Amino acid sequence: MSAALAVREITMRFGGVVALEDVSFDAEPGRVLGVMGPNGAGKTTLFNVISGVQKPTRGSVTLGATQLTGRDVAWIAGHGVTRTFQTPMMFWGLDVRESIAAALATREFGGIFPPGALRSLVPSGFGWARRRAADAALRERADELLVTMGIGAIAARPTESLSFGEERFLELARALAIEPQMLLLDEPLSGLNPDEVEIVLQTIVRARENGIGVLLVEHAVGELLSVADRVVVLDHGRKIAEGTAREVAADPIVIDAYIGDELG
Amino acid sequence: MMASLWQYVLAGLVSGAIYALVAAGFVLIYQVTGIINFAQGEYVMIGAMTAASLASAGMAPVEAGALGIVAAAVVGGLSYLLAIRPARSRGATGVTLIFITLGLDVALRGLGLIIWGTNPLSLSAFSGGSSISIFGGVIQPQALWVLGADMVVFALLYIFFQRTYAGTAVRAAVASPAIASTFGIPLRTFAFWSFVAAAAIGGLGGVVIAPITSATYDMGLTFGLAGFVAAVLGGLESLPGALVGGFVLGIAEKVSGGLVSTGWEQGVGFIILVLVLLLRPQGLLGRAVRQA
Repeated sequence: MSAALAVREITMRFGGVVALEDVSFDAEPGRVLGVMGPNGAGKTTLFNVISGVQKPTRGSVTLGATQLTGRDVAWIAGHGVTRTFQTPMMFWGLDVRESIAAALATREFGGIFPPGALRSLVPSGFGWARRRAADAALRERADELLVTMGIGAIAARPTESLSFGEERFLELARALAIEPQMLLLDEPLSGLNPDEVEIVLQTIVRARENGIGVLLVEHAVGELLSVADRVVVLDHGRKIAEGTAREVAADPIVIDAYIGDELG
Repeated sequence: MMASLWQYVLAGLVSGAIYALVAAGFVLIYQVTGIINFAQGEYVMIGAMTAASLASAGMAPVEAGALGIVAAAVVGGLSYLLAIRPARSRGATGVTLIFITLGLDVALRGLGLIIWGTNPLSLSAFSGGSSISIFGGVIQPQALWVLGADMVVFALLYIFFQRTYAGTAVRAAVASPAIASTFGIPLRTFAFWSFVAAAAIGGLGGVVIAPITSATYDMGLTFGLAGFVAAVLGGLESLPGALVGGFVLGIAEKVSGGLVSTGWEQGVGFIILVLVLLLRPQGLLGRAVRQA
């Protein structure tokens, strides 16, 4: 059921600047693929291309037999590939549980055409038994996701009032709510304390156990290597290495790129 | 003096109710798409003119009114599909889109002129009966239809946004479009429906006010500007704000028109607009812009 994400010969130019050049790799379901590289290596551009935020100059991205290149973000998300951002962004005006419900409901009622779209217009709280049952199920699922992230206690809090770590947890719970096949995490550990880092790492491991493919961009190289099954290393928009965490960590080209970055 | 003041307030409530409906249309489209749609007033005209012309051809007022609303909704949907979406897909933003809606406004008014000519059309009141006296002031029975339409529209909008999943998804999309799309929330579909809904609401306003003011091809200009002022008064992002803004403007117009001179009626809205923009730019009920 789950399909592999195939990135083929992606090139992305902005005017004269080449952000990605001829990058190819596969991301398997139920595996964590780490994406490493110094600043400006093209990691975020790569995520933007896969998730549909930017269209590549050349190349293709497919999930199984489904061509994703050229589609918009919402379509790609509807077909199982979603992402998070470096800075977690909240739905201001919604509380924590509603934020999850918005994601769940999109999955449940996502179709543009009836009956899904029509059912999403049925108001709650009017004593309609089937609607009440659907509400309860969604609510339960939302709370379950919050509890697994360790933030079950804040379900009713407005999103404006969350700490940075809580925002990060909510963002992950929200992304998992749509049950993606492929989850792109852009620096999910940045800005977190060690306890929070541990929770996010456990979440990544759990997602992998549930068959979700994870693409992980992370500056904390130690943590990245600890959860990644395989690692792709980018430098100046090119793929300079790919292999297991152990292979990549020992690769002189990779070490060179990182040291070069630190000196330069 | 007090008696006539009360009479002006009652009259202001009726026109304010229509301003509130037009303002709700401004807010809906602005919230979902970020566009200020200056063609908003023309949907009032299309609703009123369609209903009045069908009624004069022999249709019952309520049926003609229903078709007027449908006509406005269709024109609203077409406004998005033919004017906004093509421009957006070519990268138009901000001021460009505002100018497109201004052009749309002129085009729709021109269309009204071609179809219906310059003569005002009348629509008979939905229910008969004599004037109703409220604490010494007098309103026509049709005014109750106007106020009732307001209540129904705002109640439905409240239920949609607070009680339905589609509404929650729209609120999420309004709060953060970039994130909402990573859930698969279809922003462009929402944009389309926001135009349809805003136009239908405007059309309803035109249908219920037509028996009081009669309908002309250029009535959209007045209602569009007043609705815009009311929306800004309410903070442009708030439906309750649109409701309050509409009534404040309607009452201010009629009271100043009655107590000072009718010449003031047209101008007072803009005086209020300038004052609000200077003193409370977030509007009466709007929130101050948050620093991200």
